Amino acid sequence: MSSAAPLIEARGLGVHFRAKRAVDDVGFTIAPGRVVGLLGHNGAGKTSLMKALVGLLPYEGTLSVLGLEPRRQRVQLLESLCYIPDVAILPRWARVDQLIRLMQGLHPKFDAARAETLLTRTSVRLSDRVKALSKGMVVQLHLALVAAIDARVMILDEPTLGLDVISRKAFYEMLIDEWCDGERSVIVSTHQVEEIETLLSDVMMLNEGRLVLSISLEEMDRRFVALSHDAAEADAMAAAHPLLRYRTPDGAAALFDGTPPDAVLARGRRVRPSLVDLFIALTRAPEITPPSLRS
Amino acid sequence: MTRFKTLLLREWMQHRFGWLVLMGLPFVLFAAVALFGQAQIQLDDSEEPMALTVAGGIVLGVIATTLVLAWGASLLQTPGLARRDAQDRSVEFWLSLPAGHAQSIGTTLLAHLILLPVAALGVGLVGGLIVSLPVVTHAFGVGAWFALPWAKLLVAFAAVTLRLALGVVLATLWLSPLILVTMAASAWLKRWGIPAVAAVFGLGGLLLDRLYGNAVVWNVLGGLVQQASRALIATERHGEMAFAIERQADIPALLSHAAAWCALDAGHALAMLASPAFLAAIAVAAGAFALLVLRRQRGS
Repeated sequence: MSSAAPLIEARGLGVHFRAKRAVDDVGFTIAPGRVVGLLGHNGAGKTSLMKALVGLLPYEGTLSVLGLEPRRQRVQLLESLCYIPDVAILPRWARVDQLIRLMQGLHPKFDAARAETLLTRTSVRLSDRVKALSKGMVVQLHLALVAAIDARVMILDEPTLGLDVISRKAFYEMLIDEWCDGERSVIVSTHQVEEIETLLSDVMMLNEGRLVLSISLEEMDRRFVALSHDAAEADAMAAAHPLLRYRTPDGAAALFDGTPPDAVLARGRRVRPSLVDLFIALTRAPEITPPSLRS
Repeated sequence: MTRFKTLLLREWMQHRFGWLVLMGLPFVLFAAVALFGQAQIQLDDSEEPMALTVAGGIVLGVIATTLVLAWGASLLQTPGLARRDAQDRSVEFWLSLPAGHAQSIGTTLLAHLILLPVAALGVGLVGGLIVSLPVVTHAFGVGAWFALPWAKLLVAFAAVTLRLALGVVLATLWLSPLILVTMAASAWLKRWGIPAVAAVFGLGGLLLDRLYGNAVVWNVLGGLVQQASRALIATERHGEMAFAIERQADIPALLSHAAAWCALDAGHALAMLASPAFLAAIAVAAGAFALLVLRRQRGS
């Protein structure tokens, strides 16, 4: 994804979750300052991959996160990496000020004053108990706690699942404004692809445990071509073997991996392929995934 | 060290209400009876109770009640502790923080099985001393309480409390195979953990005993409980009473020897650790602890 020394490097990575091989022979690198979207259907292996990255699941292959081996050096790794595994997992018995005190004692790079400052921008008060907060407020609290850690990598697993649109927007605003600084990297998995597309610098797509795409958005725009076309051109487009044919507000469209022949280009109007369309094209069924994308 | 203290702080934050109730309840009940009750003090037909006897009985009674309540509640709670964070879904939050699995589990065990009962001893001692004032005053007048031989009494109470504190630690070590195996079973088998342990020890012991005439399970369980009981405090060792109170008049002399007796008994209890049985118990406990760590490593 970048020529800078990677923060995360995986080669031949395999992860088992119970009896299933959840991640299979995955390889990628993540450089500093990237915001990486990890996309995949339910059960595609996103959570297993993220848990392996933070040392919570055993794995096969080579994995280096911040130069550390996550399974063996989990405690050391978590001093420079923060992780939000799911919504509403903060201990319900705790008050906000207690959580800040605990984080301060447990995390050497946690800045309590910064957490309190971040919380002033939310409706969460220090005296609130977690069990009295709404789901959106819990997520805001969790992000404020995590954003107050001077870490180099943040891993977010479906952090806004079940939240309303205002809470989701507030979450991502806080993430980008308060944490991302061009040096730190974020990996975020979500199903709300459209909402975070503009925040991402890179995207990784998992399908059935296999990494079907790992690419920067700039490269994605160069490599994948979407052509909007009239209905009369549908057969000609289909004959050019697009990855996906779909409908847009302007009519039919076809998505190609690489630039299609000039004759096909002439029959349509080039439009920017959306991440959602590409995701559907690459993960809807293995038989339509082009051989070039099968690792 | 900061991390260790913070993990202990977490236990205090999460459980302090229950702990304070457990530790404060005996004091409140004894105090209520002392202030508002109609308790009658009677030793036997021939002797009038002495203020010293009453004060000593009250203090030791409050200490013992507080200890039994707090420690008993802790022991009953330990299987639930194994799944505490998984049940309230916060386990992944704790796992996302840089604290080791063994350190986290060890701190929880230390807080619940050692620190709470030891703190209960202290609370019981202070509470007992406070409650003794209205009780002695009610029966003998306020002057009697102040006339008690406080120097000897405080030394004796402190010695007994320290002996019991050591006893709690040693008894917990003796019982650790049972405690940790139950916790590990609960962590791995969830709600089937305790029934499984009960079935293995209960049915297994019964089958071995009835079918093969082998009482090994009963012997092991009984041995652990007996050793734990002796480690806690023992008034009798090798069939001989360490001391005997036949008349109240024996008590002042006994007070003078309490500290020495407690030290001697502590030495006996420590000496019991140098045995194959204790090493075997610790080995089983270590295996069960490893299973708890493994379970937590897997995220639950």
